[in-house]
Amino acid sequence: MNPKRCAACKYLRRRCPKDCIFSPYFPPNDPDKFACIHRIYGAGNVSKMLQQLPVQTRAEAVESLSFEAKCRVEDPVYGCVGIISLLQTQIRKTQTLLAKTQAEIAVAQTKHSQHTNL
Amino acid sequence: MSGGGNTIPSVGGAGCGGGGGSSSGGGGSSGGGGGPCGACKFLRRKCVPGCIFAPYFDSEQGSAYFAAVHKVFGASNVSKLLLHIPVHRRADAVVTICYEAQARIRDPIYGCVAHIFALQQQVVNLQAEVSYLQSHLASLELPQPQTRPPPITQPQPLFFTPPPPLSITDLPASVSPYDLATIVDPPTSWATQQRRFVDPRNQYGGSSSSSSAAVGLGGGNSDLQALAHELLHRQGSPPPAATDGSPSRSMSR
Repeated sequence: MNPKRCAACKYLRRRCPKDCIFSPYFPPNDPDKFACIHRIYGAGNVSKMLQQLPVQTRAEAVESLSFEAKCRVEDPVYGCVGIISLLQTQIRKTQTLLAKTQAEIAVAQTKHSQHTNL
Repeated sequence: MSGGGNTIPSVGGAGCGGGGGSSSGGGGSSGGGGGPCGACKFLRRKCVPGCIFAPYFDSEQGSAYFAAVHKVFGASNVSKLLLHIPVHRRADAVVTICYEAQARIRDPIYGCVAHIFALQQQVVNLQAEVSYLQSHLASLELPQPQTRPPPITQPQPLFFTPPPPLSITDLPASVSPYDLATIVDPPTSWATQQRRFVDPRNQYGGSSSSSSAAVGLGGGNSDLQALAHELLHRQGSPPPAATDGSPSRSMSR
């Protein structure tokens, strides 16, 4: 067995060819990354997805797939949609705080104006 | 979308297309009287009674949505995923899986992570704006010396330093109970910026436990249907990968 197999080929227990599509993105020192992706998407699907992408974009695609897969493993029901929901809640709260602060500034500015005119 | 808290929301019926969401209706029909479900129709296989996909992919538009799910996740992976989820949570899972699948088809590089980053960018911008305004407010509220007239602050354009580059460490990994129905339409132009992806759990010091899935749905299936409507309808018609073109949908019921 090639001692320099990528994490994907190690996981799949196969030889790692020189042109392995996974090897640039799944180093052997991080087996969990591929395990997670394989569990959610399957190696075949990931391979097809990567093959359809330009080479320079594959790294980012793998990272985003890895993130989504991790979210799905941790939260099988909502995956990263849960994070979207949380962020939207944060946005709403921050917008409320922003509006409140703007109103307070308006009040403070009015008081300043009144104080100046006295 | 079919109402009623006891109906099983069908991705093909309620979220992704028309058709009945009722378990007794046409939506989500299994092999038997109503013909194959959308998933089995797409897979061209016999839809057996008890088909795991049948309650969630109706025979009309469900196959279009299942096409996306199958392309991204694979039918067997989704089946395994659903088998490990309690039955009463599977509808939610199907909706979110459909959403992620469609997002991935529309953006093969970033998928729905682009949306997450756009939202995170929005949070950072808003927080910066709030910080600026709060410091401005603090300066207004400070007592001014009498000899010097207080400066009349003119409305100034907001200025704040650009937010730092985002990474996945900035993303919340632990999700407290949330309401799926609050998920609104994604931004019209998703930020597909280059980002460095690292483990999101580093930011929050621990993985999100399964308790994060204790969702306060409140309205139960009605919230899910609202989510399905929002998430999937806002993305437009079923994904281009659908084998049966762009079926018409009756989204709301």
